[in-house]
Amino acid sequence: MIPVDVKVLFKNAQPGRPATFDEYCRGGGYQALSEAIRKLAPKDVTRKVKDSGLRGRGGAGFPAGLKWAGIPEKAGFPRYVIANTDEMEPGTFKDRVLVNTDPHMVIEGTILAGYAVSAQRGIFFIRPSYETDAELLERELQVARAAGYLGKNILGSDFSFDIVVHRSGGRYICGEATAQVNAIMGNRPHPIKGGPHMAEQGLWKRPTLVNNVETLACAPHILQHGPEWFKSLAKTETGAGTKLYGVSGKVHQPGCYELPMGTRLGEIIEEAAGGMMRGSEFKAALPGGASTAFMPKQYYDIEMDFEALKKAGHRLGTGSIVVFDRQSCLVAATLNLTEFFVRESCGLCTPCREGLPFIRDLLWRIENGEGKEGFIPMLREMSAHMRHAYCAFAPGAAEPVEGLLLYFEEEIREHISQRKCPFGEHGTDHAETHH
Amino acid sequence: MPKLIIDSREIEVPAGTKVIDAAERLGLMIPRFCYHPALGSLGACRVCAVKFEEGPHKGLDMSCMVEAKEGMVVSTTDKEAVNFRKYVIEWLMINHPLDCPVCDEGGHCLLQDETVSGGHGIRRYRGKKRTYEDQDLGPFVQHEMNRCIHCWRCRRFYQEFTGYRDLGAMQIGNRTYFGRSCSGALESPFSGNLIDVCPTGVFTDKPARYKGRRWDFERAPSICLHCSLGCNITGSARYREVVRVEAHHHPGVNGYFICDRGRFGFAYANHPERPRRARINGKEVSFEEAIHHTAGQLRQLRDRAGNSAIACLGSPRSSLETQVSLSRFCELLDLADPRFFLDGDVEHRVKRAVSKLDERVAISMREIEDSDFVLAVGVDPIHEAPMLALAMRQAYRKGGSVAILDPRPVSLPFEFDHLPVAIAEMDLCLNAIMKTSLAAAVPENLSREARDFCRLVVAPNAGPTAFQERAIMVGQKLMESRRPVIVCGTEMVGGRTASLAGNHALLLRCADKKAGLFYVLPGPNAFGAALVSAHREWEPILDRMEKGEIRAVVIVEADPFGMAMDQDRWNRALETLEFIAVLDYLPSSSVAKAHVVFPTCTVFDTSGSSFINQEGRVQFSSPLHHGGSPVSQVSKGSHPPRIHLDRVPGGEAKSAAEILSELVSVIAGKEQKMETGDLWAWLTTDAPAFKKLSEFYSKRESFRLVPDRQPTKDFSEAFQQETDLRGDGHMELMLVDRMFGTEELSSHSQFAREAEKPPLLIMNTSDAERLGFTQGSRVSLQVKGVHIEAGLQCVERMASGVMVLPRHRGIPWQKFEASRVSVSVDRIKRLP
Repeated sequence: MIPVDVKVLFKNAQPGRPATFDEYCRGGGYQALSEAIRKLAPKDVTRKVKDSGLRGRGGAGFPAGLKWAGIPEKAGFPRYVIANTDEMEPGTFKDRVLVNTDPHMVIEGTILAGYAVSAQRGIFFIRPSYETDAELLERELQVARAAGYLGKNILGSDFSFDIVVHRSGGRYICGEATAQVNAIMGNRPHPIKGGPHMAEQGLWKRPTLVNNVETLACAPHILQHGPEWFKSLAKTETGAGTKLYGVSGKVHQPGCYELPMGTRLGEIIEEAAGGMMRGSEFKAALPGGASTAFMPKQYYDIEMDFEALKKAGHRLGTGSIVVFDRQSCLVAATLNLTEFFVRESCGLCTPCREGLPFIRDLLWRIENGEGKEGFIPMLREMSAHMRHAYCAFAPGAAEPVEGLLLYFEEEIREHISQRKCPFGEHGTDHAETHH
Repeated sequence: MPKLIIDSREIEVPAGTKVIDAAERLGLMIPRFCYHPALGSLGACRVCAVKFEEGPHKGLDMSCMVEAKEGMVVSTTDKEAVNFRKYVIEWLMINHPLDCPVCDEGGHCLLQDETVSGGHGIRRYRGKKRTYEDQDLGPFVQHEMNRCIHCWRCRRFYQEFTGYRDLGAMQIGNRTYFGRSCSGALESPFSGNLIDVCPTGVFTDKPARYKGRRWDFERAPSICLHCSLGCNITGSARYREVVRVEAHHHPGVNGYFICDRGRFGFAYANHPERPRRARINGKEVSFEEAIHHTAGQLRQLRDRAGNSAIACLGSPRSSLETQVSLSRFCELLDLADPRFFLDGDVEHRVKRAVSKLDERVAISMREIEDSDFVLAVGVDPIHEAPMLALAMRQAYRKGGSVAILDPRPVSLPFEFDHLPVAIAEMDLCLNAIMKTSLAAAVPENLSREARDFCRLVVAPNAGPTAFQERAIMVGQKLMESRRPVIVCGTEMVGGRTASLAGNHALLLRCADKKAGLFYVLPGPNAFGAALVSAHREWEPILDRMEKGEIRAVVIVEADPFGMAMDQDRWNRALETLEFIAVLDYLPSSSVAKAHVVFPTCTVFDTSGSSFINQEGRVQFSSPLHHGGSPVSQVSKGSHPPRIHLDRVPGGEAKSAAEILSELVSVIAGKEQKMETGDLWAWLTTDAPAFKKLSEFYSKRESFRLVPDRQPTKDFSEAFQQETDLRGDGHMELMLVDRMFGTEELSSHSQFAREAEKPPLLIMNTSDAERLGFTQGSRVSLQVKGVHIEAGLQCVERMASGVMVLPRHRGIPWQKFEASRVSVSVDRIKRLP
């Protein structure tokens, strides 16, 4: 059983409404910031985050402290911290839940990051469908400002920092850090590669830190209770802290659950999400959103942690688990996911822009009884080639396809040999009209 | 200098070279679509994938994105890389229409080449193809978006390289669209380069549509004659018609691009009224007859009225061969030296410029791209020398800054400091800028001349100028620069500005700066004309005509009766002339008035002609075709008559040099050869500057014909206060050039004409307000019998007290007496 006191990010959760500023402060909020500003040098804050083993919650799992330390002390000013709230990965909704549960935790985390890298300006980059969250954040930022946690000379120190809410145009690629920076500058949101690093020349060619909001929300707790405590929250050696696992699909109680990092997949499904839906049996799960590969039953007991999944050839991604049962057609599911990626490709590079629609077309034909044996090697080659695309988008998009080919090739063959979907209609015939 | 191995062959390349370029040096053309040497790496198309086998970088990656490093072993033939590239082509071909047979790009299409060489032949994708709606992008560029392979070159060229924003990318994913927000003519004067950079047929040459395939054309490298920069072009001809011009790469002049005037101005060569046969008094005759008639007339006149009764006129648009032949013609017949400029003031300024340029300061257009500060005086780049604006933009993109001293409403596709000083203030303002830049340290160890000049510049009594504060600001930028360039025009400047600019460039070199000097001249071979022209002072031909001293003129590729100022005087003088012979390829006013017309060749159909651009670079053009009346391919219902001739119809034109040579022989009564070799030898005895010419001419290599050091003293020529035509109820009227519609050759091109704008008069907004005019008002000007009507354009950023009037075909600008006119404000009226 999961002990109740493990709640960290959700500790101030209120039923049906966000925690207020007072509630957040009563729970120890803004103490970490006050302490840090009074007693810690920026680099000490970074060191604590580094020691805590916190890894980025946006999907890539890059060590947060390393990223913060990546901004050279001698780098120019002004510097920016971008709190990435552009959550658009299908199956992922944890950031929205977090912002709506405790907006000040996210705000304090962002200010702390700002302090650690000596930034002047924070930006919440938020997708248009989260307009209510944007409004909530704007309102609460005003409260924090009034309380002296934001603005000029925070808490009487010489640290000045303010945060704005930037409403994105709303495309999946804007979640990619370099594309996000382009989007803020009013450019076409293409990812940038091969240029100077963001830590030195990001937004408006200034040092820029981009972190997922969940990552930032961990910072106050690390500072308040120490890196060791944070590390000890996890169930695994390599993990650290708690994780907001989103669970959707064929489970009894879909939702977002805070659990220790490294909680086993089976535990998450059975204990947090109330088990599989009545009458359904586990077949596979996407462990971390649409850009991760299907994990079949053999991984049911895997520890949901960056390292454990990596060892098994998978990715934790955003930790948003999509569960499929034995009645679900995984070809149809993959087709559905691919549809999304085809639509959201920024169009810069060829594999992503043209290759993904080819994959989509093959999957559509397989699903609709037009599949041919020769499609399988083509799918295999093309999805492997996606790793040579410009950014991480296309390789991510290819992951479900690769998972399908690796674990469920038999299911594809059934589609081809039966000249129809063995699971019946799925309503996916709109693919052809998408052109 | 890292050494690496590509496909088992070793090569050493400069640090920073991309692997794709290193391979190219070995002759290995790695496939590419998005990569373009002028635009740099992007990494979007992914077709240049290679395998990095050894060294600091491992695995499959894009050769355009990875810099060559010591110890790299690269394979372009690795199985995985080949397979990946094959897929990239297949993906690109998913949506590409198989319309090669009807596509104008077919035959010189990069996509076609890479598809074939990549081995993709069988279509495996079974879905529908994506389709787009095309746009009308104006008279020059045809749009066919279905063919797009999304290499991003067009957007990067248009927005990043040239700085225009009306064409770009819209939508995302495989719906990405390259075009404008709505149909409309492209705003960039460099839009035609989209045709060259597009690796397939999305942007094709509209005037050249359906004219033929690449292999149908007779093609040759040539030189653009539509301004003084001498951009290199490749011309294409078919069926005796010049059908297309493309940019020809030249690393020192134009790089990979040319402007739209250069690209679409060629059609004067196909003008339906172009003189094709020799004519005597309007009647077509044989060439021989015309020669003998002319020789007889000239001989008779010479015997009757003396040698001085015959005048010869050339022009800055003729090749060096023609100009020198005309000089030699005059020499052999003992006639007065030919004149190459219709405006004596312009001639003086061009000569001053040419006499200042030497190897110490002369720089090429591409070198401007590397300068950190460009100070342009009396030049409106976009209209006078468009590609110069592009070179300046590259300097700006690399972090340099640009300042312009010019009264006109100069507009450039980047940020720059504009000091809208009137011509009368230009020299003082230039001095003020220099004074600031020297404020910190007047260089030591100066020669006496330099010291005197320096003293003149920094003298406190030089006085405050207009825009004093901004001049100081610009001066500070000049002070901080390491590689400044002074660009100086020769048309809208004071009489001594060109010399002053040259002196300043020399002084900057004394101040340890790698300073360059770059003049803009009036005409593609104005430099040659200035060199060939006699150096002594002369009385204007027009004056002598009026006095009755001149009875006959030989006009070679010039149009005094159409293009000279003071038309009325010219036309009156015309009546006093007994004989006019015109050698030209344009259907000009002078041709219409001539007693004898000799059709000459254009640059496209003459064998070998050279032109000296404004930096003193001699460049050679090659003939594309024999030339002649274009074959009509559409008979409009009736078959063209089948007549067999012993000559090419309309192909009788000869080079002006050849005609002059024949004339000399007939007049002199003996064979008088004027071979180019002899011409150069003759030239060199008179002007040692030409010594290099005979050396390089046979090799046909371009070279710079400027001395290491000018023989005249440095820092010579003191200032001269230019008269201010403004004030006292008067405004200065300036007759200026425009991108389209004013340059002589391109205004005879039906294609360039489509881009002309209606005549307009440009005025400072505050001047217009004072006179009670508003933007768009129709105004009339009445100056000494000249009546002009035009729409008014109000501009904030130009000199006040000045009106700018482009020399539009649609207005009688030739009737003014000079290019600078003073107009009383009560002669400017608003029309209802």
